[in-house]
Amino acid sequence: MDHQKTAIHGFRVLVLVACATPALWLVWAWFNAGLGANPAEAVVHFTGRFGLALLLATIALGPAFRLSGWVGFMVARRQLGLWAFFWLVAHALAWMGLDQYWDWPWIWQDLWGLEYIRYGLAGLVLLVPLALTSFRAAQQALGRSRWQWLHRLVYLSAALGVVHFWILTRADYRDVVIYGAVLAALAAFRLGCAVVDRR
Amino acid sequence: MARYRYPKIPESEITPEPLYRARRRFFRQGVGLAVAAAAPGLLLRPAAAWQGALDEAPGSGLSTDEPLTSLDDITSYNNFYELGTRKRDPSDWAHQLQTDPWTLSIEGEVNKPGEFDLSDVIRPDELEQRIYRLRCVEAWSMVIPWVGFELRKLLERHEPTDRAKYVVFESIHDPDNLRGQRRGIIDWPYREGLRMDEAMHPLTLLAVGLYGKPMPNQNGAPIRLVVPWKYGFKSIKSIVRIRLQEERPVSAWEAMSPEEYGFYANVNPHVDHPRWSQARERRIGEPGRRETLMFNGYEEEVAHLYEGMDLEKHF
Repeated sequence: MDHQKTAIHGFRVLVLVACATPALWLVWAWFNAGLGANPAEAVVHFTGRFGLALLLATIALGPAFRLSGWVGFMVARRQLGLWAFFWLVAHALAWMGLDQYWDWPWIWQDLWGLEYIRYGLAGLVLLVPLALTSFRAAQQALGRSRWQWLHRLVYLSAALGVVHFWILTRADYRDVVIYGAVLAALAAFRLGCAVVDRR
Repeated sequence: MARYRYPKIPESEITPEPLYRARRRFFRQGVGLAVAAAAPGLLLRPAAAWQGALDEAPGSGLSTDEPLTSLDDITSYNNFYELGTRKRDPSDWAHQLQTDPWTLSIEGEVNKPGEFDLSDVIRPDELEQRIYRLRCVEAWSMVIPWVGFELRKLLERHEPTDRAKYVVFESIHDPDNLRGQRRGIIDWPYREGLRMDEAMHPLTLLAVGLYGKPMPNQNGAPIRLVVPWKYGFKSIKSIVRIRLQEERPVSAWEAMSPEEYGFYANVNPHVDHPRWSQARERRIGEPGRRETLMFNGYEEEVAHLYEGMDLEKHF
């Protein structure tokens, strides 16, 4: 029993370290010329890719629990999901502040004018109700099934993120294909489970 | 672009970047020395005369006086897919490009075609330093002190015929050495083209140096095109073939995605890339964004070339 608790605690700490240290690294690199010739672009790209990767990792915790039966994966899910949200909000802020330099008329114009930004924004906005209802009281207030239904929006949000990334990609689609394939596999697993459970 | 690890460990934490680069330089020079010592007279090539003339090349009235982008930024933030698609790939893999010996083939509609050694193509007395703005289609820009000579001078020496309407350029094709060419991201070899009047324009440069030194490999050594009023991808790197012909060629990017990368590719803030805006750009080394200028600021010099053309259609 104690061993089990230690393992879960350890996993939560691992998630914390894995999600927080890149932020420290980014800040350090920003002030030490570690981000190359275009640091604003480097921050925007890193936060976006890392946020999307964490979102996929969050989705993957469900299948990981189902396949292994280890409850630690479910315990860490809210924590990881909130980190993904944090990184994607940071991505949006980095775009507005570092890339667009808080130039509101231009930000506004790009928000409505550029397809890839519309998709990315939609994906991020979809995560807001999920983040707001992530705590236990909200889950109880909504009721288990409605809460679950709402939180399936994470698939749609991740898909919009992949589309956003796809549109931006120039010629070399290797990276975005990996993100898309991981999401497709996770969605297929989820659908497969739904079919099995219904029988 | 950074590849993912989980958690991400930057390369710089493993080996500090300057050390890493210095080490590679050391190995490279070491190999060079060993080869030179083993076969003197055969492989030890003295620096060509034109290389000595690079740092004395006179300035040009066509240069801008805007602040220069740092050499470090110019040589570490590159699009040169032959050496990889990430911005750092070209500088990391620059050693894969073998630039000596180098022959340039000049063919097609010219009275004097042939294959020429680079040192026969470059005339030291024609070299000039030209400080140009460079605007990439990805919406970043730099100010770069090229050393080179007008393409016009080379073409005139080879006497274009009346049927020469377009100039086609081809980059080196060497998939055994160039890792980027082992993947079919682009239909290799890279090809670009200009209309004859664009090619003969005094701004159109064949660059062989940068900051007074021979062209770094990642920037397109040993000889590359520079067409400052067009998006960077028109300025083809590491040229091995120049062909004059009557038909309009199809450039490598145009063949891939004609609705995104037109043949003319003139810098134009009013015609957006289908997926992103071209109205503004990030000048490397500068915070924020600045508005993009028509023809990258060379409107006065080149606008007449496109008179009567619909630049939304011929983008």
